Amino acid sequence: MILAEAFAEARVRVVAVLAARFRDLDLAEDAFGEACLAAVQAWPAAGSPADASAWLYRVAHRAALDALRRRQVRAKAPADPPEPPATPEEVMLDADDPIPDERLRLFFVCCHPAIAAEARAALTLKAVCGLSTERLARAFLIGEPAMLQRITRAKRKIRDAGVPYETPRREQWAERLDAVLATLEIAFGQAYEDAAGSGDAAGLALEVLRLSAILVELLPQEPEVLGLAALVRLAEARRPARLGPDEVMIPLSEQDTALWDRALIVEGAALLGRAGRLGRTGAYQLMAAIHLAHVRRIETGRIAWADIVGLYDALLIVRPSVVVAVNRAAALAEAEGPEMALLALEALDEPRLAGWRPFLVARASCLAKAGRKAEAAEAYCAALALGPAKAERLFLQRRLEDVAV
Amino acid sequence: MQYMLLIYDNPADYTGDNAAVMADIMAGHMKLGADLHAAGIQFSGNQLRPTDTATTVRTANGAQTLHDGPYAETHEQLGGYYLIDAPDLDAAIAWAKRIPAAARGAVEVRPVVQR
Repeated sequence: MILAEAFAEARVRVVAVLAARFRDLDLAEDAFGEACLAAVQAWPAAGSPADASAWLYRVAHRAALDALRRRQVRAKAPADPPEPPATPEEVMLDADDPIPDERLRLFFVCCHPAIAAEARAALTLKAVCGLSTERLARAFLIGEPAMLQRITRAKRKIRDAGVPYETPRREQWAERLDAVLATLEIAFGQAYEDAAGSGDAAGLALEVLRLSAILVELLPQEPEVLGLAALVRLAEARRPARLGPDEVMIPLSEQDTALWDRALIVEGAALLGRAGRLGRTGAYQLMAAIHLAHVRRIETGRIAWADIVGLYDALLIVRPSVVVAVNRAAALAEAEGPEMALLALEALDEPRLAGWRPFLVARASCLAKAGRKAEAAEAYCAALALGPAKAERLFLQRRLEDVAV
Repeated sequence: MQYMLLIYDNPADYTGDNAAVMADIMAGHMKLGADLHAAGIQFSGNQLRPTDTATTVRTANGAQTLHDGPYAETHEQLGGYYLIDAPDLDAAIAWAKRIPAAARGAVEVRPVVQR
């Protein structure tokens, strides 16, 4: 376990520096894997080195050079006989430089907007966090061969299309940073989707929390980086309260606040405060602020619905979407009553809404609040017909029973 | 690295009474060429005649047939290209974004195989 922790800690730095140096993600990952294997053999006997990361870096660096040499030998006519591989002791004596910090470059490479968004998320979790293809396949609900193909294709594009192993130039900074943040958002969405996920999904969420913490460390002056870090913490803080004992989904406004993770809430609130002081607002900060307004219930015992509607109004300006509009309507139902919310929902001009579950659920809930039980039941049935996951299905069935009397 | 910037747009956007639009686009290309030159970027490029002048040679089962028209009948058609020497994909994309376009269109950025 201690070994695994040391590996996890060292991984991002070592893979990042090797990838940047050799411009080859596969080579970097394989070399790090070799270094871990060497450590498993060497450390128990000789004792763990004082600086595990530096040890792994040196061995991985040597392994990468060896792999390159083997490649060249294979590609060309027989050249000089290859040097015997260095023993870990030799490597230890080799160099004493601190590991250069190339983590940011690794993020920008893995999250390049020229790579499909869902492939970016998988690639980042693999290269930076070391998640296996099998684990990623489970997280993204696709088969292992499909996941492997997705990652292989992304790596090939990075290599062949000339995706730079550099931090972006100033004129591209905004677009490239947006892509990094969107990648983390997708990864977290994947973990958050599964309310029942006490194991797998929670583990994935922790990785995203770690990724966002690294980004905060690297880019402390980017308010949206802080905003995203706050958002994932404030959302994750509620995981223990999202399911009832019978595995039914519990909506945010009805969750038992005693089950929320206070440490994560404090951390998220502090990050959002720091972001606010930088004075440039954005979608992630607004989303985090909405979450924060909800978790304030832990102190005040009530939810400031009018504030939440206002935050959604601002979010609609910076990130207009039906998803935001539907969530705003749900908040409006609490702030100003179901009739206002139903008007807002009717005003949405989007033909596919009738087959979109969150819209149907929001509408059903407003209809129920307005006492229009038959219509509410119809909307709940339509939502159920779309085959939601178990926790939400149980929740919707109960709501349906409430209006079916 | 060499990148091919393939310009796809709708030929209909260039027909009719739009001399002003055409002049703008042509001026944009001239400016882009001058900027590429000033940036020391090796490049070449051409405008293609409309797809009603295209002939497609198709090969299937070892036999070749001629076809009057472009490879695929779509709204957007390959209308021209730049071949540029850029350090990396980001640089190529930055130049692609500066290619003047009519009301709508797309630029596909494709790395050229280096041998």
